[in-house]
Amino acid sequence: MRDRLAVVAALCAFIAQPRPARAQERPPDAPANQPEPAPAPEPPPEDAPPPSAPDEPLQKDSEFGPLILIESIEVVGNTATQTELIRRTLPIAVGDVLHASDKRLREARFKVLALGFFRDVTLAMRKGGERGQVILEVRVVERGTVVLNRLWFGRSNVSPYWLGADVGERNLLGLGVGVGVGFIFASHGDVEGSRNQWATELRASDPSLLGTRWGASGSFTLVHGSEAYRITGDPQHVDSNDLRAFSYRRIGARAGVTYDVTALSRVSAGMRAESIVAGLPVAPTLERPDGRISAIDLHLEPGESRVVSGNLTFDRDTRPDPILPHAGGHITVSAELGSSLLGGSYEFATLFGRYEHYWPLLGGKHVIGFKLTGGVVIGGAPQFDRIHIADVNRMLTPRAFGLVLSAAAPLDILGTRPDKPTYGDLGGSANLEYAFELFRGSGKKRVYGGDLFLGAGLWGLGEQADLRARDASLYDAIPIDIYVDAGVRIDTDVGVFEMTVANALGRLR
Amino acid sequence: MKTLAIAAILVALSSPARAEDDDRPELQKMRFVERGDRLHVTASIAKLFDRAAYEALDSGFTSTVLIRIWIYPRDSTDPVSFMLVTRQVLYNLWDEIYELKFDDPGSKKVIKEKRKAEALRRVTSIDDLPVGPLSALPYDQVYLLAMEIQLNPVDPKLMTEVRRWLSQGTGGGLDRGGAFFGSFVSVFVNPKIAAADRVLRIRSQPFYRPRP
Repeated sequence: MRDRLAVVAALCAFIAQPRPARAQERPPDAPANQPEPAPAPEPPPEDAPPPSAPDEPLQKDSEFGPLILIESIEVVGNTATQTELIRRTLPIAVGDVLHASDKRLREARFKVLALGFFRDVTLAMRKGGERGQVILEVRVVERGTVVLNRLWFGRSNVSPYWLGADVGERNLLGLGVGVGVGFIFASHGDVEGSRNQWATELRASDPSLLGTRWGASGSFTLVHGSEAYRITGDPQHVDSNDLRAFSYRRIGARAGVTYDVTALSRVSAGMRAESIVAGLPVAPTLERPDGRISAIDLHLEPGESRVVSGNLTFDRDTRPDPILPHAGGHITVSAELGSSLLGGSYEFATLFGRYEHYWPLLGGKHVIGFKLTGGVVIGGAPQFDRIHIADVNRMLTPRAFGLVLSAAAPLDILGTRPDKPTYGDLGGSANLEYAFELFRGSGKKRVYGGDLFLGAGLWGLGEQADLRARDASLYDAIPIDIYVDAGVRIDTDVGVFEMTVANALGRLR
Repeated sequence: MKTLAIAAILVALSSPARAEDDDRPELQKMRFVERGDRLHVTASIAKLFDRAAYEALDSGFTSTVLIRIWIYPRDSTDPVSFMLVTRQVLYNLWDEIYELKFDDPGSKKVIKEKRKAEALRRVTSIDDLPVGPLSALPYDQVYLLAMEIQLNPVDPKLMTEVRRWLSQGTGGGLDRGGAFFGSFVSVFVNPKIAAADRVLRIRSQPFYRPRP
């Protein structure tokens, strides 16, 4: 009903109201000047959404047309993508007998388009060698498959500038294998012990091994970093004299397999091995504003150590549009276990979850989204595997390949605990977001759509020790605060742009 | 500043897209007739097919036309009637004949047509189509009839699968912060698939039922 209301609103809004026609053929003796009906009330908003009737099936599955036998499949137009890859993607194969109106034939074009390697795909049939046999022709128009996954740039109180990019090729050698490489460089500031940071990562993945539901992925990461920690001073202000830094190096590799349980659900499992070399200070301490001195735990083994772990992830995404979601939901749960039994130096377990759901309003032009993200780290996880404050507070500079690029404290909006931890083993955020559809492109437009959004939520980050004992009132001790964000998301054929308040803050603080 | 510049460019790019959006219904003079206990309408949706869509009629694949029809009072946003009509055209390569399947409420039929132009005419003609019960249309009240016609609509479930697939990047690495807590990934080269090959939205002139 909501959708129907929407179409009525849209239709009413745009059209002038001419003189009414009669529903019945006018009889010869009918009066010529029928009275004008009463004027319509105030029209609904002009930009009401187009109609849809979700309760009605789009296409009937009852088949008609002749039975055909697929004699052969010809692929035309591909120069980079291997023909076999396209053939594997089709839901039909040579020798199949089916009705010409079969659902598989209707879906074949979209299965090929879903590869993301083609600008257009058209399918046609022509007569085969014998009556009832057909030759299926798949004509493709290839497109560039180099993708820019991320750009990093900004400045902060501990790094005068940082710059980096992550690019990928989705269709290496036409095999359907995706590869990616990223590099970031961050210059060091005045913090004692700091150094220039850089990190790089190589990745490869095949989401569908030989056309099956199984996929595989692997990555190699090298991080040359230094991380600042506070030794004194007001936690709300960043002065390089109040900070020290230690240097470290990480070399890691990760390999895993994925399995598509359904078209929208995926399970993945993997292993990770990493070597860490950390130059840790001897017995670092923090002098608090009230004069108390406490030891700092940097959660790393001095010298060389190893992380070896296994992980399992479940992901289900039912959002019809993952870029500008106005319906559906997304849930991800991931667990990781690191142990000396596997050869590592750290015994730990992590459990993370993310849930988001979107409720369309007023025919789908407006949407309320709820996002819940959280995690817990159990045991002696290395520093880099603990939850960083920027992971849960989007108003801070996010980590890039694990590099911490800013030492800025979160905005103290609620006046809760002033020295909120930089790392924690229990953290998360809950966010409510309202988005409004600014526009949607259609046809061959290169700008697909844009949304204006406004969100607010709670974030929290703490250590388990905080939960056991506190030396202040509950309100003053609780490591929870709020964050707000607002901005514009624009979906184009050259990428997704997000211009938000939080994004700007994350690049400049 | 750079962000602002990008924003300005994108807003500029997006403005024409809005202006050219074809989701505004166009007015079409339709003919209404009372017959039996139903209201019948006559209209044309030939504009749904462009040259490429016309050429595709003999591709051997099914061309599907999905028509949604609403009737609602002019001074209200609450429809009094809704119906769904599906029409399909399929070219039989070996018999060299077009098979047309009409799936209207209360009427299902398959007919055959030799000529392509005639097949198009039949599938895009709405001739005396019963669209709503007269009992839902009191005398002297003014109504509007709206249609949304889609050519080859994509099943929403399939669309969800395709878009999810297309939005996947080139795999995640060790950067848990970005992969797990991050909410957004930029994907340059960002193909998108429309929900239908073509969409036509039309609306009738206001009409009413005079008392007998």
